[in-house]
Amino acid sequence: MKLLITIILIFFIPNALADAYCALRDPVAQIKLLYPTKTNQLSIVKNIDEGVRQQVKLALPNNDLHFGELGKHTLYIALQDKIKLGYIHVRSEQSKWGLVEIIWAIDENYRIKDFSFQRCRSPKKKLIDNQIFKNMFIGKNLNQLQAYLSQDGVTANQKLLTIASDAPDLANVILRCALKTLLLTELVWKDELENN
Amino acid sequence: MKYKYYSYFFCILPTFVFADLNDNFRWSIDGSARYNDYSEPTKSSQIYFLGLDTHKILSNENGDFAYSVIQLYFTKLSNQNPYPFMFDSPDDAKIIIREAHLNYLPTSEWIPNIRIGHFTMPFGLEDSNDTNGRLLDYGHGSNLGTKLDWGILLNKVHDNFEYKMSYTLGGKDEPKSVNGSSLVTGRFSTLSHHDYIFGLSFFYGELDNIERQRIAFDFQYYYETWGVKTEIAQGQLNDDDERYALLEFNKQSLDDSKKIYGQYIYKDKDSLDYAQKLAIIGFSYQLNTELEASIEFKKQLKEINNSKSGLFRAQIRYRY
Repeated sequence: MKLLITIILIFFIPNALADAYCALRDPVAQIKLLYPTKTNQLSIVKNIDEGVRQQVKLALPNNDLHFGELGKHTLYIALQDKIKLGYIHVRSEQSKWGLVEIIWAIDENYRIKDFSFQRCRSPKKKLIDNQIFKNMFIGKNLNQLQAYLSQDGVTANQKLLTIASDAPDLANVILRCALKTLLLTELVWKDELENN
Repeated sequence: MKYKYYSYFFCILPTFVFADLNDNFRWSIDGSARYNDYSEPTKSSQIYFLGLDTHKILSNENGDFAYSVIQLYFTKLSNQNPYPFMFDSPDDAKIIIREAHLNYLPTSEWIPNIRIGHFTMPFGLEDSNDTNGRLLDYGHGSNLGTKLDWGILLNKVHDNFEYKMSYTLGGKDEPKSVNGSSLVTGRFSTLSHHDYIFGLSFFYGELDNIERQRIAFDFQYYYETWGVKTEIAQGQLNDDDERYALLEFNKQSLDDSKKIYGQYIYKDKDSLDYAQKLAIIGFSYQLNTELEASIEFKKQLKEINNSKSGLFRAQIRYRY
């Protein structure tokens, strides 16, 4: 019997993947905050592998994915009955306060609809309550958000930082996270999302 | 017979339940080797784990309606004495079920999620700090009599608080009641992803022919990459009053790969002449997505029988 178990374990190895950091702790409750009229959600689990990581490095020079961002990750479609309201994608970004986890609401044209922190240990986290700052992201797609990047590719330029003058480091983290989230959504989930 | 039962869970049941194994299905192979070095008396032991950790989301045309978690671990002891209750000898080997449950997710925001199966008892710090497979530990098994049990659990996260309440059979690794055993366990807390977390837990029932009661208050605070955790509990084992306290300070690196923690634990019972006081220091290093190394040193601070025993543990863990 032990031999049988061993054979089964080996058989399943190609499907095996590492821990995912991206899941919402309670999708039912937390998606409701960003989509108040949603009645249910549909999860789509996809793999982010080394190939995707290289594509991120190419598309966003000087950026990389945290090791915990590789593996199987979940994107949620927020539903009102059977009508698609948009997507929820949670990503982690390294900061000087540890990992910051941001819940992104994305519309069907891959533009930011809204966002909130799942975990943020920055003393400046009240930046999330600054609606003017949020509006700099809302309605923007990947190309439009790239216009906020300075030449080093990892920090924000004055267009964004003037709105977040007391929390520039956190604004940089949020911008990098937004860019990677939109890029990964299209790179990894687009086919599946357009067939659902 | 047991292997037949495990095989059923492991292979046959998922085939019926999951139309497409690769659809919203996560798998990890989780292997680890643990070395224990005891002082006073001097001895050493090893434990080896090779497990399959699965997570499956069940959906239909209306969206997600449930998910399952199944963790099966082939576990081999080597010179481990005393050995955990589910083993028969210091060198025994068995397949152990850790978490194995189905979770129904109602769409209403007020109806609780329903979990059925084998799960970690919702009590104290362990409830928001999963220590399965790690050296880090919050004494769940030794304090409650078992870390996991079979039963039903209701849970929900609301805007400002979350809760879990369970009724379990007290069979520990067996899905049955033993000599009338049963346990009611629960924890109410503020949201577990916030910087400040307050929790209140209760535990009541009969396990291993002992009537058990326990209440606890726990608190966690995180500032940047620092954290502090504490749990204070009071309870009774039959008529023997017991008291417990844990204080932990921890620090992690910016990328979450390195973690260090120190714990102080106080345990006391009316039936004992002295309280037990322990100090623990541990370190873990996630080398990459798959590989983690960790060490821990535990020392008794108060002499018992003219000695202060110590335990050094080291573990290498690989998840693929």
